[in-house]
Amino acid sequence: MHRSLSQLRPLVPKTASRLSPLVSAAVRHNHQNAQPTTSSGSGSNLSGDHGARTTHFGFKTVPEEEKESLVRGVFDSVASSYDLMNDAMSLGVHRLWKDDFVARLKPGARGPLRCIDVAGGTGDIALRILDSAREKYADRETSVDVVDINGEMLKEGYKRFKKTMYHNTPQIAFKEANAQAMPESEFPSNTYDVYTIAFGIRNCTSIPDVLKEAYRVLKPGGTFACLEFSRVDNPLLGTLYDQYSFSILPLLGTILAGDRESYQYLVESIRKFPPQPEFAKMIADAGFTTGAMHEGKGGAWTDLWGGIASIHTGVKI
Amino acid sequence: MPRNQLLRLAIPLVRTHGFSREALARSVLSLPVPHQQPLSDAAVLSLFGQGDDARRVLIEGWLDQAREEMKIAQVPAVQGPLSVRDILASRLKSNEPVLQHLPEAFALLASPASGLPPLDPLPGLKHVSKIADEACYIAGDVSVGPAWFRRRATVAAAYGAAELHQLTSPNTAYEFLAHALNAAQKVDSTISEVELFGRYVWRSWAGIIKSSGVLP
Repeated sequence: MHRSLSQLRPLVPKTASRLSPLVSAAVRHNHQNAQPTTSSGSGSNLSGDHGARTTHFGFKTVPEEEKESLVRGVFDSVASSYDLMNDAMSLGVHRLWKDDFVARLKPGARGPLRCIDVAGGTGDIALRILDSAREKYADRETSVDVVDINGEMLKEGYKRFKKTMYHNTPQIAFKEANAQAMPESEFPSNTYDVYTIAFGIRNCTSIPDVLKEAYRVLKPGGTFACLEFSRVDNPLLGTLYDQYSFSILPLLGTILAGDRESYQYLVESIRKFPPQPEFAKMIADAGFTTGAMHEGKGGAWTDLWGGIASIHTGVKI
Repeated sequence: MPRNQLLRLAIPLVRTHGFSREALARSVLSLPVPHQQPLSDAAVLSLFGQGDDARRVLIEGWLDQAREEMKIAQVPAVQGPLSVRDILASRLKSNEPVLQHLPEAFALLASPASGLPPLDPLPGLKHVSKIADEACYIAGDVSVGPAWFRRRATVAAAYGAAELHQLTSPNTAYEFLAHALNAAQKVDSTISEVELFGRYVWRSWAGIIKSSGVLP
C-alpha cells in the first residue's frame, strides 16, 4: 500500500533524530501566515553554528544535502498513485497544460529529434512527444530519454510504456540520474535537440546546477523548455488558488493516497519556487538565449491559467 | 547571446527569404561561429513567438533598422544638411531590395491578432509617423507647438502616399514623393494662414463683444 512519509525512516540518513520533528505526522500549516519569501537562485542559505548550507523543503528549512533524500522519499511514496493524484488535484487540467507544452515543441516538424525529458518519471511528456511526432509528422525516428532520480517513478513510466508501441524500440529509454549532475559518459555534451522538464525543477536542490547541465547536454540551437507551477498575479484568483492548494489538496492526498505530508510538501514547494521573471533571469544566466523579459508573445515565459502554471523556454545559441 | 543580435542577423536574409520564420531560423547560419543547421521551429517560437507573431517581430525589426539607416543617409550630390525630401528619398531607396515582400509585410501588420477589428490602421500610422518625426529631426526642423504636429502630419501623409505608390510603380516613386511633399507644404502653409486669419477674426469678435458691454 502507499507508504506515508513518516514510515520512511530506513531511507532517512543518520541525522533522523534531527529530521523527525520536521517530518512528523499531521503537519499543521496555516497558509494564511505563510509569508512567501523571495527565494534565491537555489534557495540555499548559510545558517547554523557551523555555517551548514540549508535549503527549503516546502516551507521547512533542511540541510541542503538532505533535501535530495527527502524529495526521493516523497516521490517513492506517491509514485504508484502519481497520475491519479495529478488528475484529482488539477481536475484533469494538467493534461491540457502538458498538451500545450508539447505542441509548442513541434517534435518531428523538421526531422527527427533527440529529446531528453528530465524528472519525467511516469513518461507523460515523453509519450506526448512521441505521439505528436508520429501523428502529425509521421516521424518514427524521434527519440526521448526519460531521466529521473527516482527509480520508483521510472518503474511506473516503464510500465506505462509497455502498453504502447514504443516499448522495446530505440525511441524510448529510461535512465536513472540526478538532473544536477548527469554523468557525461551517459549524457555527453551537445547531444540533445530538446530538453524538457515538467513539474520537476522545483524539487531540485540547486536550480542553477540543473540549468547548467541542461545547457551542457543540449546541442547548439537546442531548446530548453520547462513547465512548472508558478505565481498567480491576480489577487482574487490567487486567494482561491491558495485556499484550494492548502485546504483541498492535502485532504485529497489523505483520502486517495493515505499520505497527507507528501502532498503538503508538493503544495508548499510550489510557493517556494522563484516567480516567473526571476526564473527567466536564471535561465538567461545559465547561458540560454530567451525571448524578451515579459510574459506572452515573444516573451521568455507564457503563463497558463493566470500563472498557475508557466512555460519557460530558452535556446542554446 | 541576446535575441536582438539574432534579429539583426536575420534582417539581411529578408531579401532572399522574405519576412518569414525561415529567415529567423537561418540567422544562426550567419553567426561568427555558424551553426550547422537553422534553428528549429521550437527555438524560433521560444525566441520570437508563435506563427505570425515571429514574422511581426522581424518586420518591426526591419523597419527599425531602416529608420536607423536614415540617420546615416548620404546623398552624394548634396553637401551640407539634408532636406526632408532627400532623407525620405533615401528611406524609399532602402525599400527597394525587399519591395516584393513589403505588401505582404504591411498587410500582416494591419491584420489584427484577434478577429476584430478586421483591419488595424494603427501600425501603419505609427510607421509613417515615426519616419516623419525622424526625417524632420534629422533635417533640423525647429517648429514648436501646433506647427510641430502639423509639419509631421503632412510629412507622414506625403511619405505614406509615396511608399504606397512605390509598391505598385517603383520607377516613379521619387517624383511622386517630390509632388506629395510640395502638396503637403502647400497644405501646411494654407492651414497656418487659415489659423492666423482665424485668430485675427476671433480677437476681433472678442474685442467687439467686450466693448459692447454684454459681458459683466
